[in-house]
Amino acid sequence: MTEPAGSAGVKRRDFLKVLGAAGAVTTTVGCFQEDVEKLIPYLVSPDDTVPGVSTYFATTCRECAAGCGLIAETRDGRAIKLEGNPVHPVNHGALCARGQASLQGLYNPDRYRHPMARKNGKLERITWDEGIKTLRDRISGLGAGAANAVFVNQHETGSFPAFLDQWLAGYGMPAHIAYDGEAPHAVMQANRQSYGSAWPGLDFTAAKLIVAVGADFLEMWGSSVAQQLSFADARAKLADAPRFVYIGPRRSLTGLNADEWVACKPGSELAIVNALAGKGDLAAAATAGGVDQAVLQRLAGEIASTKPSLVLSGVTTANALDVALAVNALNVAAGNVGVTIKPAEALTSFDRVGSPNDLRDAVQRMASGAVQLAMFRGVNPVYVLPKSLRVAEALAKVPFKVSFSPYPDETTELCDLVLPDDHFLESWGDAESVRGSVSLQQPAMDRVFDTRATADVLIGVTKGDPATASRIPAADYRSWLIGRFPGGAQAFGAALARGMAPGSPAQSTGASRTVAAAPAPAPAPLEGQQGDFYFLAYPSPVLGDGRATNKPWLQELPDPVTKIAWQSWIEIHPTTAARLGIENGDHITVTTAAGAVTAPAYIFMGVRQDVVAMATGRGHTGYGRYAQNVGVNPLDALPVAHDASGGLALATVKARVAKTADSSPLVTTEGSARQHARGIGRAITVAELNGPEEEEVEHFAGDNKHDFLPGLRSPVANDAQGVLGNPKSKDKGMYDPEHWSGMAKRRWAMAIDLARCTGCSACVTACYAENNIPTVGAPWQGRSLRPFHSGDGNGWDTRPGANILKGREMQWIRIERYYEGGEDGSSDFDTRFVPMMCQHCGNAPCEPVCPVYATYHSPDGLNVQVYNRCVGTRYCSNGCPYKVRYFNWHGYGEPARRQYAFPEPLNWQLNPDVTVRGKGVMEKCSFCVQRIREAEHRAKLEGRELVADEFTTSCAQACPSRAITFGDAADEKWSVARLAEDRRAYHVFEELNTFTAVVYLKKVNHPAGGAR
Amino acid sequence: MAATARPKTMAELSPRPNVASANQQLPGVIDYEQVDRDIGGSLSPTAGWFGALAVAIVLFLWGAGAWTYQIYWGLGNAGYNPPVMWGVYIISFVFWVGIGHAGTLISAILYLFRAGFRTTIYRCAEAMTVFAVMTAGLFPIIHIGRPWKFFWLIPYPNWRLIWPNFKSPLVWDVFAISTYLTVSATFLYVGLVPDIAVLRDRATNPVRKRILAVMSLGWRNSEKEWRHFARMYLFLAAFSTPLVLSVHSVVSFDFAMAINPGWHTTIFPPYFVAGAIFSGIGMVFTIIIPIRKFFRLQHYVTINHLDAAAKLCLFTSLVVGCAYLVEFWVAWYSANRFEQQYFWNRVFGEWWWAAWIMLTCNMVFPLSLFSQRLRRNPTWLFILSIFINLGMWFERFVIIVPTLSHEFEPWQWNHYAPSWVDISILVGSFGWFFMWFLLFIKQLPVIAIAEVKEIVPPKLRSPHVHEDAIDVTGRHQAYEPDTPGEFD
Amino acid sequence: MGIVAAFRELDATVDAIEDLKRQKITDMTVYTPTPRHEIEQVVDPPTSPVRRFTLIGGFCGACFGYWIAIWTSDYWPLVVGGKAIATWIPFTIIGFELMVLIGALSTVAGMFINSRVPKITMTVGWDPRFTHGHYGIWVPGTPDRARVIEETLRRHGAEDVRHED
Repeated sequence: MTEPAGSAGVKRRDFLKVLGAAGAVTTTVGCFQEDVEKLIPYLVSPDDTVPGVSTYFATTCRECAAGCGLIAETRDGRAIKLEGNPVHPVNHGALCARGQASLQGLYNPDRYRHPMARKNGKLERITWDEGIKTLRDRISGLGAGAANAVFVNQHETGSFPAFLDQWLAGYGMPAHIAYDGEAPHAVMQANRQSYGSAWPGLDFTAAKLIVAVGADFLEMWGSSVAQQLSFADARAKLADAPRFVYIGPRRSLTGLNADEWVACKPGSELAIVNALAGKGDLAAAATAGGVDQAVLQRLAGEIASTKPSLVLSGVTTANALDVALAVNALNVAAGNVGVTIKPAEALTSFDRVGSPNDLRDAVQRMASGAVQLAMFRGVNPVYVLPKSLRVAEALAKVPFKVSFSPYPDETTELCDLVLPDDHFLESWGDAESVRGSVSLQQPAMDRVFDTRATADVLIGVTKGDPATASRIPAADYRSWLIGRFPGGAQAFGAALARGMAPGSPAQSTGASRTVAAAPAPAPAPLEGQQGDFYFLAYPSPVLGDGRATNKPWLQELPDPVTKIAWQSWIEIHPTTAARLGIENGDHITVTTAAGAVTAPAYIFMGVRQDVVAMATGRGHTGYGRYAQNVGVNPLDALPVAHDASGGLALATVKARVAKTADSSPLVTTEGSARQHARGIGRAITVAELNGPEEEEVEHFAGDNKHDFLPGLRSPVANDAQGVLGNPKSKDKGMYDPEHWSGMAKRRWAMAIDLARCTGCSACVTACYAENNIPTVGAPWQGRSLRPFHSGDGNGWDTRPGANILKGREMQWIRIERYYEGGEDGSSDFDTRFVPMMCQHCGNAPCEPVCPVYATYHSPDGLNVQVYNRCVGTRYCSNGCPYKVRYFNWHGYGEPARRQYAFPEPLNWQLNPDVTVRGKGVMEKCSFCVQRIREAEHRAKLEGRELVADEFTTSCAQACPSRAITFGDAADEKWSVARLAEDRRAYHVFEELNTFTAVVYLKKVNHPAGGAR
Repeated sequence: MAATARPKTMAELSPRPNVASANQQLPGVIDYEQVDRDIGGSLSPTAGWFGALAVAIVLFLWGAGAWTYQIYWGLGNAGYNPPVMWGVYIISFVFWVGIGHAGTLISAILYLFRAGFRTTIYRCAEAMTVFAVMTAGLFPIIHIGRPWKFFWLIPYPNWRLIWPNFKSPLVWDVFAISTYLTVSATFLYVGLVPDIAVLRDRATNPVRKRILAVMSLGWRNSEKEWRHFARMYLFLAAFSTPLVLSVHSVVSFDFAMAINPGWHTTIFPPYFVAGAIFSGIGMVFTIIIPIRKFFRLQHYVTINHLDAAAKLCLFTSLVVGCAYLVEFWVAWYSANRFEQQYFWNRVFGEWWWAAWIMLTCNMVFPLSLFSQRLRRNPTWLFILSIFINLGMWFERFVIIVPTLSHEFEPWQWNHYAPSWVDISILVGSFGWFFMWFLLFIKQLPVIAIAEVKEIVPPKLRSPHVHEDAIDVTGRHQAYEPDTPGEFD
Repeated sequence: MGIVAAFRELDATVDAIEDLKRQKITDMTVYTPTPRHEIEQVVDPPTSPVRRFTLIGGFCGACFGYWIAIWTSDYWPLVVGGKAIATWIPFTIIGFELMVLIGALSTVAGMFINSRVPKITMTVGWDPRFTHGHYGIWVPGTPDRARVIEETLRRHGAEDVRHED
């Protein structure tokens, strides 16, 4: 992507034209805009939209199948920030990184700006009327072939699948195929058989022991936000918290949060689970799994003795279904059902997910040439299915292919007709994430481009033909929804305000596919295969199956485990690497029976010595400037193998590993993974927690532990008040607590509970969204490598993540991931996730060194950075012991520069309350000072004092484990003041006497035997 | 002729004089007129000079182009690798400021110490000081993110009533460097005035004569002028002495005032001052040795003078080496883990190569100056001076980069490598420096005419009159040079 | 109106000056290519007042340095790094540097003022040789004593005596 950023995207004036066009079009389908204006709902309801004042819309997230509730903050008609909907039963106000980043799907500069049709080989612009007419003609031209038409839709809950099936049925087409590449199908099918629902509610807080057999419940395994909330609450019980054991060949993010990791061979889980359940031979299981029998012995004992427990399975081997069934049986036997596993509170998000076998069969039918018409919406088979399935060749056999995708993904680029769908923040819909409550999806703003909701397109198709016009009486999809909504338009309008309503949306008329449409081919047994390594592909915790890869925030977000961004990597164990002479970054080739992939090696203690692991999500050949040609796709080396439920089996093949000649540095934000006994991320064991208060668990040089200053009141404020400082200095201005502003009475502070933090990194993306932080890793944002070359990209460092290679990422808040133990390569190591942002020191080393007062201490304890005053000496960063200050090395905010980070229309997302920093100035975490002042002003307007905990920072708001607490530490009413007194509380680098405003609460470890 | 015979015999008495006496006799110089002829004669430009000047200007323009490029695209094109936020520019800033110190040391401190050997080299060193500080002053501006706002560091009255932060070492720098530049430039100019008068009166070209007449301020060599001149010179020297010590101390505060491991230490001011003088003398050798050769001034800048300067070089080298060792000892003795891990990484870790370049060039090689033969060998002195310049640049590299790349927060440990922009601007700075210096040495005397005349025996009618009042030999005792105003 | 004499030798110049002084002719100006104590002692001038300029300049500089730093800090009080608003100890650096700067400049100014440079004209009573190798004496004189003076100068071996008017 050598096109200079910023030149792409529509200019502002064009945008207005587009708006006009969109308005004109929408009026033909039912006065879209007026409806919005009539129906602007408010959580807090002022009289009218005031310019510069945010308007909030309650809607539903569609990034993954979970369907979390959203509050979309819009400013002057543009969505600028997404937050979780506090009243939503799934996410309770929290939101993951992907949810945050869906804004960049809305404003993605590579979105289709209008419908297109393939004319003599390439896609060209058409009008919507042409597009709809073409589709209608094609369908009516099908005749008997209609029975063979294929409509692939992303799996989603709510009414649309029903609407779609109804529409398809009208034309005699088969029900659509609902595909979700991320859903653990084996688990769902097992759950249906064992519990009667695909995804029973999981209550981690009720459990005393958690055993996850490859179940990455903090990542792509089910509804991660809901599970993370529950898991964090469980861990927050400290001494009573459940001990957590992770069984699997790779220690995922979930595994890193476990107290113990049983590193077993892939495919041996079934034997182990049976053994743990007492049904199998421990010795055999131990040998099969390559684990210590004593450990299994102990675990079996623990499981038998500890009730209630919670055992979860999420393996991706060919026998996944059997493992899942065995685990469920274990739960039933242990009496966990109804206690920790609650079918009554089932999540319905996955109820009607189709089996991937359907898609595979469809592809085979296409290959056989039987399919006349194929339609795709939100699914990208060419990318998400293994290359060995030859999807592209199959598509070539289909005479007419329609894509409703808003993005130029690999599949859409092969289609003949592109009818770009609206983003979910532009369109209507509903979802049922929890049985009995509808979560509504409504437009938060007008369309960015000339796109149209697929449902409205389909309605347009029927309406255009008198013969079919009567099938769907509703004028458009919204009125169709209202028509079926319990209580009608009245209730609908009322429900929009909360975004939730009791009841249940229409169910699909199509049968929910609980069994594979065709028996899956039995994959070759792992042990018999060639190769001395197990090749393990896993869904990336950030990018999922690759549909999130075109969002720069997520490309820039370091993988929570490996801390690598903008790059693919192959994880290999230190011992193995040493044996093969592999260093970090050396390119290694993994060759399987199905193919080969080559990527830089990442040496990781968290994989078995006989396992190489690789994340999905990167390696797109299309999908826009941010995804294209970044990384490689492990599916290229995967055979087409399914477990008995039809789910794609990711761990089914052995591989040979070869080191290649070349190597490239890892695009990582990690410096040293070890703390060198500096006590940054500290932990305390349950025994110590129950025991008497000890002085300091981890001693390190120069440690000079002192009590907190009262209420964390900064000595700076004291100084300004003349207590510590120069008593002769008369004019203290606003630093005087008696000053009318009363600012000096407050001390904004933050408490971070490491026992809760899971390292999921949602806070990082939330910070990007709130504070207009530029992404710097795009291939064209690198620096110049050669003197005075032409500006056409040659001579520039165009490696993806080039700036991050130079350590220039701008993460105001970063998650540091430190390891304790395991230096010998053993599986027994502890991981500390430490969210690190500006500590707002009372005695800030960064402040006195600034020659121009660009950074100083505010009376309410903030370490203030004045961008406009900064001249960029960067002395402050040298002084900062926490290294949390970030410098604008390039003109990330200048459209005229190739490093521009917000190409149109990405810049529409920018938060108007926050400056876009210019070239050459320093920036850092501001404790979301704009939110602080907004809250203070609101309180002032309402003539009241601030209420304790009435607002919080962006990171704390998003955090799905509620690890971050923000507030006024000088006021006992705020919960942060209480947390600061916790016995686990400590400051990082306390011995430097910086008097930080951030308090960390020690992580609590539950070693084996240490628990009850 | 008697006047010429005496010094010769003096030279014969000690073919290899006791160098400790720093005998600054000029056996090859007979009378005042010869001084004017020799030094004035060296001012006519030569082809070699034009060639050197051309090279310097080209280098300077290349560096200027690189800076323009950097301003347009942002500092990202330099090699900075956070948390290494300071790099080649600050290194070069400290390097050039250090170079400047030798000039003031020689012209002011040695003046107060009556070190006679300074007479023939101080003008060169002083000019070097002024141009080196001019060069150093550019680097903070090149270094900052928004160079067009550099004046915000200067306390100028403005309607916003925003002033700089006088607690910041960088503001101290602004004051120290600008004061240093002003005072040393003044020192250089007033010292030049009598010599410009000499050139004025020898000049034949009317235009040149007119320009020199203006520059000489109508100096007439009257006894009254000399009297006030001597006083002024004495006080300027007295001011420059603490100034030169303060300037590099202030520069060292840039580091010592930060809390970073390896920086936050009280040894820095003396350590930096010694290093500065050391590097400055190195640069003096680099400059004066070619000049005395190409300008044929060997009978002015004698081996004795070089020898004495070499001793000063050796001494400062020993001081600097001692400072290095003390740093290591303190790191070990402090039992401060941050400090210890940092120093280990500096010397045996990632930066071992830079550290050992520094140690060998600044500590080991100068030990060769214990040998008198090498001290009196201009070729060796020149080679050594190149090593010293290199070593002192790397001393600043070792102070700045390893600290920033290996600080408190292990998660943010990182590496550093300069980019082509850094290197271009560094090279350009040498072009800038030598451009000015080359222009200087062909326009104005590189050796102080009036002061050299002081150590040339005056003509006498009769050797024995006024023995009580007149030192009839016209000679001066070692370490008691005739200093104007010393009997006031 | 006066007499200017050029000498080759130092002792001759000294003798001439002494002789002239003995004749109560003291309003002479002596030129010397380089400062010589012999001349200075025989002329025996009053001490140069330049040092007063130095003292006053340095004092004012130091005071201004402290004042500007303290006043600006207190004028807009911003707390940095928990330090006092006006911290006089680091401000000593500002005081010192400004003392040196202003002190040095006023010293130079003192020299200029006292020795009357810059001079616009230099025609009367001067000779370019005085910057070359010759010592010189210039006596502004009335015609009545011109003979005596010239005679004295020549007796002491003036290489060249010239009447100027």
